[in-house]
Amino acid sequence: MTTLSNWEEETKVPLRTSCKQAAQLVNLSLERKLTVREFVTMKIHLWTCKTCTFYKNQISALRKIFLRHEEALENIPPSEDEKLSECSKTRMQELIEKNR
Amino acid sequence: MKPEKKNKPAVKLSDASTWVQQHGNYLFRYALMRVRNRELAENLVQETFLAALTGRRSFAGRSAERTWMTGILKHKIIDHYRKGFREKSVTELQTDEEQTIDQFYDAVGSPKQYPKDWMPEPESVLHSKEFWQTLRECLGHLPERTANAFTMRELDNLETDEICKELGITPTNLWVMLHRARLQLRACLERNWFEKK
Repeated sequence: MTTLSNWEEETKVPLRTSCKQAAQLVNLSLERKLTVREFVTMKIHLWTCKTCTFYKNQISALRKIFLRHEEALENIPPSEDEKLSECSKTRMQELIEKNR
Repeated sequence: MKPEKKNKPAVKLSDASTWVQQHGNYLFRYALMRVRNRELAENLVQETFLAALTGRRSFAGRSAERTWMTGILKHKIIDHYRKGFREKSVTELQTDEEQTIDQFYDAVGSPKQYPKDWMPEPESVLHSKEFWQTLRECLGHLPERTANAFTMRELDNLETDEICKELGITPTNLWVMLHRARLQLRACLERNWFEKK
C-alpha cells in the first residue's frame, strides 16, 4: 500500500518544504512551467500554509494590476510631481522647433 | 458579391509643435515609473521627441501617435538599463540578491514577518493615484538594477528570454532578482498601502 511517506521516498518529493523554498517555487511558477516534482512540492506546502497562500495570491493579483499600468496612466490625471516642469517643456519645444 | 474590404486609414502624425503639449506629461510619467529619477526621465522624454522627429518619415501609421512614441521611449529606457547592468558583474549581483532574500527568513526558512491577509481589488487600486505613487516609492527602495529588471518583467510584460538578452544575464539571475523584488515590494505595499486602507 502506498503511504505518504513511501510515496515521498519513491518520488523524491519532499513533503515538508520551508516557506522560503515554497516562495521560491511560487515565484518560479510565474516565470516558467514547474516540473511535476516542483509543482507537487509547492501545492503540498500551499495546502497547509495559509500565509504562503496569501503571498501567492497577493503577488499574482499585483502582477495583473501592474500589467494595466498604461491604462492607469491614461485615466488618472498626473499629480504635480508627475508633470514636466514648464522650463523643461519650453526647452523641449525649442529643441523640436530647431530640429524640424 | 463579396463586400469590399475596408482598410483602416493610416494614422497621420500631428504637427510636431504640439507633441510636448499632447504627450509630454504622459511620456514623462511613463518614464518616471521606470527610472524613478526626474532628471533622467526628462532627458529620456526629450530624446524620444528628437528621435520621433528624425524618424517621422518612417512612421507607417499603423499605430496611434502616442503608442509609436511610447515604443521609442521604451527602447530608450532599455538602453539606459543595459548600461547599468554592464557596470557590475552578474555573479556579484546574484550574491547580493540571494543575501537579501535570506534576510526575509529565519534559519529554518520561516518568514520573519508573515504576510497578512489582504487582497488587492484591481478596480479600486487601478484608479488610485495614491496606489501608483506608493508603488513608485516602493520601487525606489529597491536596488536600481533589481527595480529595472522587475519593471521590464511586470510593467512591460517582457518575457524572460527577451530581458536576459537585453541585460546580458541568465534566466537564473533574473528569477532571483524578481523573487527578491516581489518579496520587498509586497512587504512595502503591505506596510504603506494595504495596512493603511
